[in-house]
Amino acid sequence: MPEKTVAGKGSDRTVEVPVEARLKMLHYMKLVREIEDRIERKLYRQGKIVGGVYVGRGQEAISVGTAIHMVKDDVVAPSHRDMGVFLMRGVTPRRIIAQYMGRAAGLTKGRDGNMHMGDMDYNVIAFVSHLADNVPVSAGVALAFKMRGEKLVCLCYHGEGATSRGDWHEGINLASVHKLPVVYFINNNSYAYSTPTSLQYAIEDVASRAEGYGMPWEVADGNDIIAVYGAAKRAIDRARAGGGPSLVEYKTFRMTGHSAHDDAGYVPPELFEEWKRRDPIVRFENALIEEEAITPARIEEMQRECVAIIDDAVDWAEQQPYPDPADVTKGVYYDEG
Amino acid sequence: MANRSTHSAYAISAPAGLELDRVEMLELHYFMQLNRRLENRLGHLYRQNQVVGGLYSSLGQEACSVGSAYALEDGDFVGPMIRNLGAVLVRGVRPLDVVAQYCARAIGPTRGKDQNLHFGWVERGLIAPISVVGALIPVMAGVALEMKLHGKAQVALTYIGDGGMSTTDFHEGLNFAAVHKLPLILIVENNGYAYSTPTSRQAAVPDLAVRARGYGCHGEIADGNDVLAMVDVVRRARERCAAGAGPVMVEAKTFRRKGHAEHDDAGYVPAALRAEWERRDPLDAFRRFLLEEMDVAAADLDDIERKADEEVERSVEEALAAPFPDASIAREDVYA
Repeated sequence: MPEKTVAGKGSDRTVEVPVEARLKMLHYMKLVREIEDRIERKLYRQGKIVGGVYVGRGQEAISVGTAIHMVKDDVVAPSHRDMGVFLMRGVTPRRIIAQYMGRAAGLTKGRDGNMHMGDMDYNVIAFVSHLADNVPVSAGVALAFKMRGEKLVCLCYHGEGATSRGDWHEGINLASVHKLPVVYFINNNSYAYSTPTSLQYAIEDVASRAEGYGMPWEVADGNDIIAVYGAAKRAIDRARAGGGPSLVEYKTFRMTGHSAHDDAGYVPPELFEEWKRRDPIVRFENALIEEEAITPARIEEMQRECVAIIDDAVDWAEQQPYPDPADVTKGVYYDEG
Repeated sequence: MANRSTHSAYAISAPAGLELDRVEMLELHYFMQLNRRLENRLGHLYRQNQVVGGLYSSLGQEACSVGSAYALEDGDFVGPMIRNLGAVLVRGVRPLDVVAQYCARAIGPTRGKDQNLHFGWVERGLIAPISVVGALIPVMAGVALEMKLHGKAQVALTYIGDGGMSTTDFHEGLNFAAVHKLPLILIVENNGYAYSTPTSRQAAVPDLAVRARGYGCHGEIADGNDVLAMVDVVRRARERCAAGAGPVMVEAKTFRRKGHAEHDDAGYVPAALRAEWERRDPLDAFRRFLLEEMDVAAADLDDIERKADEEVERSVEEALAAPFPDASIAREDVYA
């Protein structure tokens, strides 16, 4: 039986989050949900998406509440459930939809599908399908920062399944031995495809492995954006100040199958029910209303704004051409310009 | 804790509750002496160009190999690494087999087709070492899985160095063993250097055993230069494993007193560090223990050491008299 993941364990919510940042995070969480819903529930089913679709429904707080701390020249290596990272770094919804539709205007110019995209104009490293491969890659980025004496940080995301991979161990060890400015975020969404955490590792908090690397670690409720924000801030501030890498584990739940083609029949329905009550967006909206930081009317308006942004992105992307077959050899190796 | 003060003489004592009779203790003495004398003689053969390929010494680490293997039972499996000659001898491999193997003779375990300790002997519960450091861990986890699936109260034991602990296979293999609660004993032989990399550049923690917790398995630190401590810790680990409590990791603190291999002068190791560990010699310490604590007569120990020397000399003579493999067997043994 899959084990029950305890949400909120160890969460430290003492951090101060300016109202402006709160509202920005709410906007981006809603935008992530809207773009992913549109891709998964409409465009994919209409046959307009080329390839698979992997979304982070229920996990929006993690990418948004972490990426908000980045400064311009920081580098980020997101995983396939971190749409918020792309949007917060400034990648436009137009180009993201074009990417999913295999159009020439997509980030990979129609050559690769879905979240397999990066854009070094925004310091976003393309996701490597082999999960955990971005762990040593991020250590390398941070090594460059350290060697150049730059006060920059690399953020790296992966799931709990990836922690069982050898490159995870090798990358984390390298980062810890050399005290590199990198923060590893474990998006622990309780299932690695169909494998529950109880069959993935034999400990309670996988982030506790950090002790074996001499690294600080923290566990926070991944469905509580304030907890996400605080844990990320502490780790990023430490890395920027030369304190080395950290491991931050966010407990959350994958509210979909592994991908759009997976009905997740192996997940007990009561787990979905339980985690639906902890929806990170609804929770955050209620908290903001209670604090009188926002009105219900403004939230509705924000929702309409997100829908309009995505409507525009879809219209734009659909008008974009597919890649020209004559360009097929371009982009294989580094092209000047 | 493993590291005792080094300004006074290094001494070992019997761990509380360890049951070893006099005969067994003398057997431990014999195997450690055989291990050292055999490797010493192989060093001569290497310089005489009689050894084909590399020679990897376990000088100063004999107690770890001998003590850990000695704690096992019939039916258990060992996957030794390149420095675990002692474990191989304890499992019943003869010095003749070892010399013939190093000198690539047709009578050796791989019939002259592979070198040094790269051979297994399933009947003796020995899985062949894999050069790719760490790769034995998932293999031995597989051996342990078989034991668990068939309800055998046996264990699989393998070794890894401080350097091998940084590999992919270490992580994947140990995690698998921990999740499935397999009867696997992993001896982390922390000998201070992975080739020329000191442990401080290998891991950001002083005790590698602390990593056991990150997998949900039991971890212990032992003095790898104390053969009695090694027998004791592995016997206890064996009980845990055989009872179904999952894997155990033992960090044996020791030191590699020679280079990575015979061709390496290890000029990168500070002389003072090497001298400190010479004072902690596992064979000398055990000999003193037998003389002082067990009242064994020096003459008896001398006899055992002479017996080990004779065994080594006989083996060298016989091995060198044996032919190299005939070219006609080159294609045999490639597949099962």
